[in-house]
Amino acid sequence: MSCERLWNRAGSAGQERGSIVRAATWTGVDEVSVETVPDPQILNDHDVILRVRRTTTCGSDLHLLGGYIPFMRAGDVLGHEFMGEVVEVGRGVRERRVGDRVVVNSFIACGHCWYCRQELYSLCDNGNPNPGITESLWGQSPGGCFGYSHAMGGWAGSHAEYVRVPYADVGAFVVPEGVSDERALFASDAVSTGWMGADLAGTKPGDVVAVWGAGGVGQMAARAAMLLGAERVYVIDRLPERLAQVREHVGAETIDYSRTDVPAELREVTGGRGPDVCIEAVGMEAHSSGIQGAYDQVKQQLRLQTDRPSAVREAILACRKGGSVFVLGVFALMVDKFPLGAMMNKGLTVRGAQVHGQRYMPRILEHMARGELTTEHLATHVMALEEAPRGYQMFKDKTDGCVRAVFTP
Amino acid sequence: MAVPRLLDSLRGAATQAGGALLGRLQHVRLPGLGQSSVPEDPETAARRWRAVTVLCSPEQVGTGADLPAPLAALGDRLDLRITPAPGDRGTELAARYRDRPSDDDLRALRSALRETKQLIEVGEVLRVDPAPHGVRTPTPQGAALEGATARAGGEGVL
Ligand SMILES: NC(=O)c1ccc[n+]([C@@H]2O[C@H](COP(=O)([O-])OP(=O)(O)OC[C@H]3O[C@@H](n4cnc5c(N)ncnc54)[C@H](O)[C@@H]3O)[C@@H](O)[C@H]2O)c1
Ligand SMILES: [Zn+2]
Ligand SMILES: [Zn+2]
Repeated sequence: MSCERLWNRAGSAGQERGSIVRAATWTGVDEVSVETVPDPQILNDHDVILRVRRTTTCGSDLHLLGGYIPFMRAGDVLGHEFMGEVVEVGRGVRERRVGDRVVVNSFIACGHCWYCRQELYSLCDNGNPNPGITESLWGQSPGGCFGYSHAMGGWAGSHAEYVRVPYADVGAFVVPEGVSDERALFASDAVSTGWMGADLAGTKPGDVVAVWGAGGVGQMAARAAMLLGAERVYVIDRLPERLAQVREHVGAETIDYSRTDVPAELREVTGGRGPDVCIEAVGMEAHSSGIQGAYDQVKQQLRLQTDRPSAVREAILACRKGGSVFVLGVFALMVDKFPLGAMMNKGLTVRGAQVHGQRYMPRILEHMARGELTTEHLATHVMALEEAPRGYQMFKDKTDGCVRAVFTP
Repeated sequence: MAVPRLLDSLRGAATQAGGALLGRLQHVRLPGLGQSSVPEDPETAARRWRAVTVLCSPEQVGTGADLPAPLAALGDRLDLRITPAPGDRGTELAARYRDRPSDDDLRALRSALRETKQLIEVGEVLRVDPAPHGVRTPTPQGAALEGATARAGGEGVL
């Protein structure tokens, strides 16, 4: 098998494949290391092996790093947002070939079960070989995700020179010529997640859309809302460099929540109605100031709640009557002070999901090829894989204007 | 208030064998966790039909010796119920033991149902191990998780 692989790789740059694969791993709470790991193998007929060209940090990794999702083992390979080149294909793979430059969705979906047929790919019944943990926590198990703990399948992540991609015909998409690696990379997760939020929240032409969080996911949710015809889009954050990116690269308006009463501002700019669609792209470590922030921090640390939901609360309070709120931020279990009364009495639709990326990636890649969707600006720090610990530190602390650290294994 | 101490109970259970940890997790009944507030007696719980819905016609599931191997292996210890699911969702495949099953029996049945579903829907059973990983520095949580994930294909609420 290894001969065949070396053969398959003939012509591609880089060191020969074999015993040594470098990878960025989780080695403890807030600890990332770069180590040597075994070469991934094809284990199922629908697998391919990818030589990773670009792989990026995602806000979801921060929840893992911080120990908020306590299903990591020391040595687990991190990373779920990536693209690369196919170097080996399993016997059952029909669409992908050695040499294809592909971007892979972060969730692993079979393409055949009822959920996949409904295009609810992250809910795939056959993507998580360890469904016991999430079934016990949530009643049913969603699908599996690369590099996202043993609760989501125990799949090795993409922060490595090589990664195994199961169900490759379903999850790996050929990158059109002319689309750069840095642009295509984010179709894997940030753009497809943002697009899903805007779409499944029901964004229609003429809508006013507000997005909480100006990270990669929030920015792309805003861009997707614009491409879906939203009339006005507001993005809310406190980090000036991210808000500047939103104005310059996304073309949406911005609100600094550290200086502005967000619901009041949104009422003022929407004739008192509130936004039609509110998209939350912050997640369980949401920042908030004042008493609410202190309350949530303390409760989370005492484990009286597992997640800090301040952006979700604000989105529900700001949303217009009968509007829709989409939760893209990752939450693990329980929140406190959830404004159920506002949700019920204002007739809101509240929905959330892990990314159904396979549903949107073909369309996203077309927009990218036409230059209507650009993501290069998110890759503020491109670095060698060996620098992953530094990359994660910057991304976590949001220093030096870091929006995403991108590794080039 | 004792509510979501779940994550801590996970960490705290590190001294236990990991599999037992998952087993325990399934029976946690804390107010606010959304689980049933009425625990069933073990006899009733063990006798429940365990079911998966498979996207196929009832004929594709087969019967007797034609059953997919994971279910056929449990042979005549099981009663099976194979019925069309409503709304084009496929076929409901339910099974339960004729005799009183042990915890290991139930784990074997959960795995067999999940594998049967995958064999019919995808044509193969997904494997995750061996997954590449770095040094497994021993931590209590790591040891517990190892046991938990080694058995997770047979655990859960199924
Ligand atoms: N649903 C999915 O499939 C999916 C996919 C990818 C990421 N995510 C989740 O989306 C969230 C964002 O991901 P990211 O990569 O953009 O992360 P990020 O950490 O880069 O960005 C989060 C942003 O939220 C801002 N923020 C914090 N508190 C806020 C508040 N109260 N109001 C408004 N903004 C606030 C931060 O300043 C930061 O800019 C994370 O929770 C991540 O786990 C979900
Ligand atoms: Zn992600
Ligand atoms: Zn599926």
